[in-house]
Amino acid sequence: MIVPFSHVMILSGIVFLMGVFCAVARRNLIMILLGLEIMLNAASIAFVGGSLHFHLMEGQVFALFIIAAAAAEVSVGLALFVCVYRRTGSLDPGIGE
Amino acid sequence: MSVNAAVLAAIAPLMAFFVTLILTRKRPWLSAGISVGAVSISTVCAVFLLFRHWEMTEPVLYTSTWMVSGAISIPLGIMLDPLSLLMLVIVGGICLLVQIYSIGYMEGDPGFSRYFTFMSLFAWAMITMTISPTMLQLYVFWELVGLSSYLLIGFWYEKFSAGQAGKKAFVMTRLGDVAFLIGILLVLVHAGNLNIVEINSLGPSETMSPLIITLAVLLIFGGIIGKSAQFPLLTWLPDAMEGPTPVSALLHSATMVAAGVFLFARLFPFFSLTPTAMALCLAIGTVSMLLASTMAMVSRDIKQVWAYSTISQLGYMIMGLAAGGYVAGVFHLTTHAVFKALLFLCSGVFIHALHTNDMFDIAKSSGRRMKIPVICLIIAGAALAGLPPFSGFFSKELILAKLAALDNPIWLIFALAGVFLTAYYTFRLIFIILFPKPGPSDADSTSIAADEAERHDVKPHPIRQTMATPLIILAAITLVLGFFEDPVERFLSATVTESLSASGMHHGWPAFMALGLSVAGVLLALIEFGLPKSRQIGFAERMPFVYNLFSKRWYIDHVYRYFIDYVIDRGVAKICARNDKKVIDKSIDTFCDGIVESSRFLSFLHAGMIQYRLIVVFATLFFLSLYLLLG
Repeated sequence: MIVPFSHVMILSGIVFLMGVFCAVARRNLIMILLGLEIMLNAASIAFVGGSLHFHLMEGQVFALFIIAAAAAEVSVGLALFVCVYRRTGSLDPGIGE
Repeated sequence: MSVNAAVLAAIAPLMAFFVTLILTRKRPWLSAGISVGAVSISTVCAVFLLFRHWEMTEPVLYTSTWMVSGAISIPLGIMLDPLSLLMLVIVGGICLLVQIYSIGYMEGDPGFSRYFTFMSLFAWAMITMTISPTMLQLYVFWELVGLSSYLLIGFWYEKFSAGQAGKKAFVMTRLGDVAFLIGILLVLVHAGNLNIVEINSLGPSETMSPLIITLAVLLIFGGIIGKSAQFPLLTWLPDAMEGPTPVSALLHSATMVAAGVFLFARLFPFFSLTPTAMALCLAIGTVSMLLASTMAMVSRDIKQVWAYSTISQLGYMIMGLAAGGYVAGVFHLTTHAVFKALLFLCSGVFIHALHTNDMFDIAKSSGRRMKIPVICLIIAGAALAGLPPFSGFFSKELILAKLAALDNPIWLIFALAGVFLTAYYTFRLIFIILFPKPGPSDADSTSIAADEAERHDVKPHPIRQTMATPLIILAAITLVLGFFEDPVERFLSATVTESLSASGMHHGWPAFMALGLSVAGVLLALIEFGLPKSRQIGFAERMPFVYNLFSKRWYIDHVYRYFIDYVIDRGVAKICARNDKKVIDKSIDTFCDGIVESSRFLSFLHAGMIQYRLIVVFATLFFLSLYLLLG
């Protein structure tokens, strides 16, 4: 393994924080969903890195499952957003206030 | 056998207390009977014990464990030694006579039953206190004595001043008791034991340095100051006159105030360890004795004169004990108990028959026609003044001999001055009652008094048998008690080491000097109050400044009032109030406001904004992971 494990974990952490920031700070439902995706990707990176480090295959399996779950989530989420936009004319999460 | 008798002596009044408290409130005569019966049992037991142990050399101890806390075990039990036996007889006898007298005195009072209930409580507390083997048990009953005298002083609680006097007595004695308790704790911490026998056999050691001993003795002496009404806590005793007269008789002779001197005698070997503390005790006794004598010189209230004289005689006892005269102090306590009870009971007869406390009014209402009380009053007065062959002469002479043996002659001089003043104020009162005449100060009230006198001339109030008998018994004891000086001395010194009880010179020059001075006091009183031409104004009353000083009790009460008003009320209390408002209230208010404000701030989470919840979720996760990582 050329890249040290700790660097992989740091990268994963940074990506996760960026996802958190995106999900928390942006006032748009699509961007929140994007933030969630980024966080899932961070988790995938951590899993793959861990799998390589500990020589276990389960990590890569988890990464595949995560991609599948993320795809399903995006499809359901985007469908919901379309529905919301049609009803309210806005994608602002603070609309209910 | 002895233990059983002692337990019976202690338990009987307690039983009487509960029975009269719960069962016989509606039947006053039954209450009185039960109470007097119980005290008679105690007295019989006490006399039996005294005769049984007359030759005792070792104290009888019986204890059982009450509670154990760590290394300290606190027993409850009985200790019979010469001092407690003598005190037991005094307490039992005086309580019995006073209760018999009270049957006549209190007849018709709505609180008759309650009165005897309290009397039983008083007797129980005092009797059990005298036979306590440990300081803690002594302290508990010491406080019970204080409580029962509070109840009895404020017996006529409908009267505002009576309630006030009761409170004053309770609070002032409490003040001393706090010091006493701290002293006990000091002894407990450093000696690890509260057994009186063991405390008395203590010596300076590494756990008890001389400084600690002095401190403990002074703190315990604080309790004595409060209880025995010594300077500076002496003003509660004159006010305690608000209670019924038999209560005063009991309070002033055998129980309440005697408890203080008894404690001094009880811990006498321990007290003798520190000459410094003893010197202070001597000074306080002297100051109280002189102050109280001067107050008694100008009082018009017959009971108040005796109250002041009690303080001054207690001062004598403290002086005697502090000068190293164990036997002298205890013997004076004994004789004083008898003749002071007699003085109060005689005064009670006048007050009961003539409904006045003022000695001039008693004189005008021809109080002297009542033969028995007048004769008894003269006998007791002579004993108080220290005239032979009455008992007071012998005991006072013992104390004076002890004081004469001291290096510093100043104490003896003060004591002799006290002897003179005592004789003067005692016979001032007696001559005023014996030789009534319209004084210039009472010109306006003469006619009323004359009317009253006439009424009493027509129908002299018969003295009841129950009231007369105790008087006669007490007078007889006063007459003969002085001649028992030697046996009592031998009895008392049986368990005290020889060096402490050696009673100095007998019948030396101080005795003759004291006799001369008391005769001089009587003569001065005769000149000013007794002769047909005398105007019945004492030498102290002719000087307005001195008169004010004496009659206002040296302004001690004023000083207290000032102190309470300006230092306690406006100083300490104000600071406390400010602390309460600014620190305690404010901190709680700030805390509450903070909670309200932060809740208000957090309430936006409720508004449906999804991202805020996300923030909270992430923050929680963050802190949880932090906790897991670090914890």
